[in-house]
Amino acid sequence: MSRKVLLHVGCPKTGTSYLQDVLFRNQSLLREHDILYPADRFDAHFLAALDLMTLPWGGIETEAVGAWDRLAAEVREWHGTSIISHEIFARATPTQVRRALDSLGDAEVHLVLSARDLVRQVPAEWQENVKHRSHITYSRFLETIRDPARESRIGSWFWAVQEVPDILERWGSSLPPERVHLVTLPPSGSDRGELWRRFERTFGLGDLPLDLTAERENPSLGVPETSLLRTINERVTSIIAPPDYRPLVREVLAHQTLSRGVASARLGLPPDAHAWARDLSRSWTAVLAERGYDVVGSLDDLLGPEPGTFADPDTTAADELLAPALDAISALLVEGARLRAVEERLHEELREAREERDHARATPSYRVRRKVVTTLEDSPAGRGTLDAYRRAKGRLRG
Amino acid sequence: MTGDSSGSAASWVEHLRHGGTTPWLAWADRTTPVAAPTLPGAQQLELLRRINLARGSAVPDPALADRVLATTAAGRGKADLPLVGLPRSGFGPAPVDPATVGAHELLRVASVLVADDLVALGADPVCTTWARPWRRRFRLVGDPVLATGLREHLRALGRPEGGPRPHVVALGAPLDELLARTWTQRCFEHGSKPWAEWLRFWRERDQLPARVDLAESVARWHPRRPLVRVVTDLDRLPRELGVRSLPSSLARVPGADQAELARRVAAVVGLRVPAAERPALMRTLQRRIPDSGVAPVGVPDRERDWVASSAARMTRHLTRAGYPVVGDLADLAPRSAPATVTGADDEQVLDLAIRMVVDPAWRTERQVGQ
Repeated sequence: MSRKVLLHVGCPKTGTSYLQDVLFRNQSLLREHDILYPADRFDAHFLAALDLMTLPWGGIETEAVGAWDRLAAEVREWHGTSIISHEIFARATPTQVRRALDSLGDAEVHLVLSARDLVRQVPAEWQENVKHRSHITYSRFLETIRDPARESRIGSWFWAVQEVPDILERWGSSLPPERVHLVTLPPSGSDRGELWRRFERTFGLGDLPLDLTAERENPSLGVPETSLLRTINERVTSIIAPPDYRPLVREVLAHQTLSRGVASARLGLPPDAHAWARDLSRSWTAVLAERGYDVVGSLDDLLGPEPGTFADPDTTAADELLAPALDAISALLVEGARLRAVEERLHEELREAREERDHARATPSYRVRRKVVTTLEDSPAGRGTLDAYRRAKGRLRG
Repeated sequence: MTGDSSGSAASWVEHLRHGGTTPWLAWADRTTPVAAPTLPGAQQLELLRRINLARGSAVPDPALADRVLATTAAGRGKADLPLVGLPRSGFGPAPVDPATVGAHELLRVASVLVADDLVALGADPVCTTWARPWRRRFRLVGDPVLATGLREHLRALGRPEGGPRPHVVALGAPLDELLARTWTQRCFEHGSKPWAEWLRFWRERDQLPARVDLAESVARWHPRRPLVRVVTDLDRLPRELGVRSLPSSLARVPGADQAELARRVAAVVGLRVPAAERPALMRTLQRRIPDSGVAPVGVPDRERDWVASSAARMTRHLTRAGYPVVGDLADLAPRSAPATVTGADDEQVLDLAIRMVVDPAWRTERQVGQ
């Protein structure tokens, strides 16, 4: 069987979490069909990306030591098709791309990039920034990413992971165009299964009885919910460390609580930014069409929807924030109560352990020995005697 | 520029590889027939040029040059920047004149070079000897710079920390200095936020970091009150540890540039070696990092009121706890004059990093334990 690697490098906010979750949960079944998704944990390929790109990430990077080389070694040893997938690979520099491709050995490498129109990606990326501690306003975010110099960290990162022609140039320039697969996300309102069918076709998963239950997704937030979260960030980002922010704010507040506001207005682009995004998308699709890549879907999908009603998250009225704010308080109280229960249980376990220890020590001979030791420890000579005794005892036992 | 300019860029890279220092915009050699490879970013190229400048008339070192050019910039910053004047696709970051790339960006590459050198060097062996049975048992808390140095020094003398019923010795200092030393030591352990952000984090919480809060640090060991010493007079510290004297170098605090470079290096080392190996490597760096004479970080004016009130609160807690004091708790009040320079600037840190890349003395000098 020929060795093949499907290297999925982005983009963020294109259904990648769902794809990776399905691949992770179905590893055994995939292996039976000669497809390797080498991951001992859900975020294994994220760690490999951090390692490849020397990216510290709020402390998680310490779990990434050697992760890329291990992943590449597994892929090199596999006899069939291997899949590597994480969206932050999109940010790799040409040097890192070369290292990554070189380390995959002589397998036939196929590059996969899933892409969505900028009209939906820009608001989604702002939300993602807000979910990662940022309190930049939406208008400032739009200004930042429209700055041609890309001076800011946000602008630099945004284009590194969203500028489709550039990503494909960086990752795909050494590959024949037929081995570069551009999966476009279907337009809003399309059949919900269409994106998965496109992934299935690209990754060769079509005939497999995969468990497609959605266990892990990266849900989006409505306008007032995102506005609230941004306001919370203004207060807490400087005083909540990343390891606490992740479970308390991103998970409990954003993913488990605020994302339930499905009736809230969805975030879009203001009219001038909408026109700019569509113009830019048109110029991209023209270039992409010339490059001859294998497009799964249609390049027209990348143009984005027509302008709709714009709800500005920077001017959300206080009464619109009230309901999500109360939801947030109640979610945090429930989480606080849960953590108190955990703390209580741990105290109880500790108390029981101490009681058992004291019970074991409550013998007259222990009390006498303890008295002797405490007396000896009060003088240098006594300490020397004790040390000599302990050494001798250690030797006898040894 | 067209195809000529690509060849020109390639010849400029060759020029840099062989020790050249001509800036890109002054590079006029379009005659050398060199194939245009994938160019490194402007960050790597400018750093190499600065390294060549620092190397002066030394024999060119193409191996070092290739290493610099192949090194990835750490962290979330700019992508590899293309050179201004070269043909481009119209996508990707805007081209730049490498000479205008800021020290902050160059440091992202330089810190990786230093980190890789450190990992290649490995941790210094730790000097130990057999534990003296008659030693005074102690447990050190407080000032982390001094405590780290003391632990190593005393272990080498056969007086390791710990043991049954130890005296808990809390090393005090004016709170502003204690904060600066704690952040500095964090940089030489597992890294930290930048100094200003770190201070703001604690000020906005109105809390003190665990190692700075002496009352909490002592209480964590549950000692009996007579077994505690809060030491603010360092001249009397040796007696509390059961030794006649201690070297004054133990209290030396690394400069702001050293700490900032260590902070950046620690983040990269965290990606290179298992977590358990990082402290020893960073301690090795702390011992070997060249001194540049830059002062340690200082508390900025805007934080001074909070530092003063925190010091007063800590003093109250220690007084109420009734722990024996060697010195005077009044010495915990901040005393440094308001700092005009509160941290190192990126140029100073870059100079230090380049010095460490160029001059291997910090790696080749033999050091053992302390």
